[in-house]
Amino acid sequence: MTIYLGNLLLTLSLIFSISQFVFSKKNDLKFISITVIGLFICSFLSFIVLIYSHLVSDFTVLNVFQNSHTTKPLLYKISGVWGNHEGSLLLWILVLTIFNCFIFKLYNNNNSNFVSKTLQTQALITAGFILFTMLTSNPFQKMIPEQSNGLGFNPILQDPALAIHPPLLYIGYVGFSAAFSMSVATLSLENNQKIPWYSYMKPFVLTAWTFLTIGIALGAIWAYYELGWGGWWFWDPVENASFMPWLIGTALLHSLIIVEKRKSLMAWVLLLSILAFLLSVIGTFLVRSGILTSVHTFALDPSRGMYILIFTAILGGYSLILYGKKSKKYFDNSYFALFSKEGSILINNVLMTVTCATVFLGTIYPLIIEAFTNEKISVGEPYFNSTAIPIMMPAILVMGVGPLLAWNKEEKLKILKKIFPSLVLTIIMTILTFSIYQSYSFIGVIGIILAFWIISNNIIILIKKNKNYSIGMLTAHLGIGLLILGVTGSSNWQEEKIAKLKLNSSIQINKYNITFEEINEIKGPNYLAVRANFTVYDKNKNFITDLKPENRYYPISNIFTTEASIHTNLSRDLYIVLGEGNTNDGWVVKIYHNPLVIWIWIGAFIIFMGGILSINNNLKKITI
Amino acid sequence: MKKKILILPSIFFFLILSIFFYLLIIERNPSEIPSNLLNQKAPIFEAKSLFKNERFISSNELKNEIILVNFFASWCKPCRDEHAYIKRFSNEKGLKVIGINYKDNSKKAIEWLKNMGNPYKDILVDKNGKIAIDWGVYGIPETFIINSSGIIKYRHVGPITSKIYKKINLIIKQNE
Repeated sequence: MTIYLGNLLLTLSLIFSISQFVFSKKNDLKFISITVIGLFICSFLSFIVLIYSHLVSDFTVLNVFQNSHTTKPLLYKISGVWGNHEGSLLLWILVLTIFNCFIFKLYNNNNSNFVSKTLQTQALITAGFILFTMLTSNPFQKMIPEQSNGLGFNPILQDPALAIHPPLLYIGYVGFSAAFSMSVATLSLENNQKIPWYSYMKPFVLTAWTFLTIGIALGAIWAYYELGWGGWWFWDPVENASFMPWLIGTALLHSLIIVEKRKSLMAWVLLLSILAFLLSVIGTFLVRSGILTSVHTFALDPSRGMYILIFTAILGGYSLILYGKKSKKYFDNSYFALFSKEGSILINNVLMTVTCATVFLGTIYPLIIEAFTNEKISVGEPYFNSTAIPIMMPAILVMGVGPLLAWNKEEKLKILKKIFPSLVLTIIMTILTFSIYQSYSFIGVIGIILAFWIISNNIIILIKKNKNYSIGMLTAHLGIGLLILGVTGSSNWQEEKIAKLKLNSSIQINKYNITFEEINEIKGPNYLAVRANFTVYDKNKNFITDLKPENRYYPISNIFTTEASIHTNLSRDLYIVLGEGNTNDGWVVKIYHNPLVIWIWIGAFIIFMGGILSINNNLKKITI
Repeated sequence: MKKKILILPSIFFFLILSIFFYLLIIERNPSEIPSNLLNQKAPIFEAKSLFKNERFISSNELKNEIILVNFFASWCKPCRDEHAYIKRFSNEKGLKVIGINYKDNSKKAIEWLKNMGNPYKDILVDKNGKIAIDWGVYGIPETFIINSSGIIKYRHVGPITSKIYKKINLIIKQNE
């Protein structure tokens, strides 16, 4: 029954999306509204059907059998719906249709041509994804023969951060599809001089960027807490796949401000909005085709890869060739002063794009080399750390001062006057930090200076309550400053100790003394585990905390996981992972002292809040 | 702005896409990872045997015939998937199949072999993963082919599939 219903709803969604394509070409309002709403309802219901079959553990559905189990906790029964390839595509389609409705809301008599053209491209994208789902990854497939229980859900994915990570990320990716469609619509319409396409585009880009930011951050949180490797970012292809659209999105977001104020850089914005979405789709291709090996890869099927590749070729080919033909009239020869708001945004733009190109090259370089020489190489952290980070540093420096500058041109003396307080604050904070940490490295010092530079600039304006600045922007920038603080601290001053410890023995890390007190076997809801207990004291023998890392075994999926135990405060994390061992020889224990990690999460959350404030602000503008 | 520059993005895009396309259609396996040990002598080690009551000294054993070394564990699900192929290899003439039981509980390993069948001529216990480190193993199952002079000729990461099975057979024939 559920299988029949699910397939029916998917087919209806496909029909609606194709009709949306047809009717929006004719710009027929009545039919467009029917198809937009019908498409949303059908895809929403199909998603509900899948959730329902996971909730009631309906093992006649292959997708439920492969990914669920009756003993799974409720939260993970729900998040398990999008924790697998097929279900995640259904979620992707649902988010597409929601954005489709928002685009339709913009429709009025003045812009009907533009909006219907946008909806037409959007319908093409949606139909493409529905077809992909139905042909290669249908979640509504029958399980034969009937089973009494499922195979279980990969326990490493059973984590609250990961439960909401995919939906947020998809809002990000799909949000860029709206900008993509609007860019295509702008390029293909001849008479659109009066349509403020950039103002329509901005809330979508803001939404995409904001949710992509928090989605990436949650992925990092998951990696940090769940993988037990002591780090939160590994320059893995899957991580890069989300980071590249983010970088282009950042450039796009800032360029849109220039377009609004100065009607300049239009051609550039049109290109960026095409690239942001294409990179999202190429990222999906890299991750799901199995063409690259990654720690996160969860769907390997070459036929899927071929489909996404052809789909990408159609989308990219159409939009980029259109761009090549039609973008000429959007070029202008405006002059940008270096010391001006638009000058600083332009610098930011160039640096973000170059960083993205660098990351892109590093990600696909092994593939290029293999295609031409048949040799296999791997590009890892050292490449990205030594290329992407130095390029981003000047961008961060400019970011501190950029918002303070005036449009058109700023006198240099005035700038100095404006930045003087934050310059002083930065110096004080930096000296204070290093008198506490007393550990120097070139990159570390620069990182800390940059972080405080951003933080003090934004805090000073926020305190002054200057109405000339958008609070959303200031908040987001402040978040970036805090994030850089955390990133610098944890990547430069991480201490790591690996030792084989016997019961009642101790180990020293930083200023802490950690004693191995006991180890027990325990039983969880769907796993067995050994749990160790460590007590932590500081130099002055004050009790700090107990840390209880676990090694879990999930019998249903036959998987072992490590649960790191972490004690967090504002200045550092203590992070313990339990390894192999036995009572006679002792246990292998990995201990990390990670300074300032919490500021990464706080920073990301503040960026998210800033983004939300800005979205709200921009939506107000659009309705007026 | 010259018009020609504007078509650059699409040209660049199609160049990258054609590389992806090429890699998708050729027979390629991303888990076939080159090993620094390829065409080198197999690392020397000593280990306890799981069933026999004697120590295994690799320099005495890994020579004079073609040997397949397979890293496995009872807790590893893909190992179960490839087990049928390991059994097929054990029936082949002129090939010695040796298992290395990686970070496993010996009792569970014995139980597992009892249920699944034991295709290995000898099984060595690598309780703390030390042998695996010497061999550069970073995920199990992993399989190595060693020729009669003790030199590693092939390495495969991940479970053996029918395609890989054929490939390994070819390599064995070439080294006979």
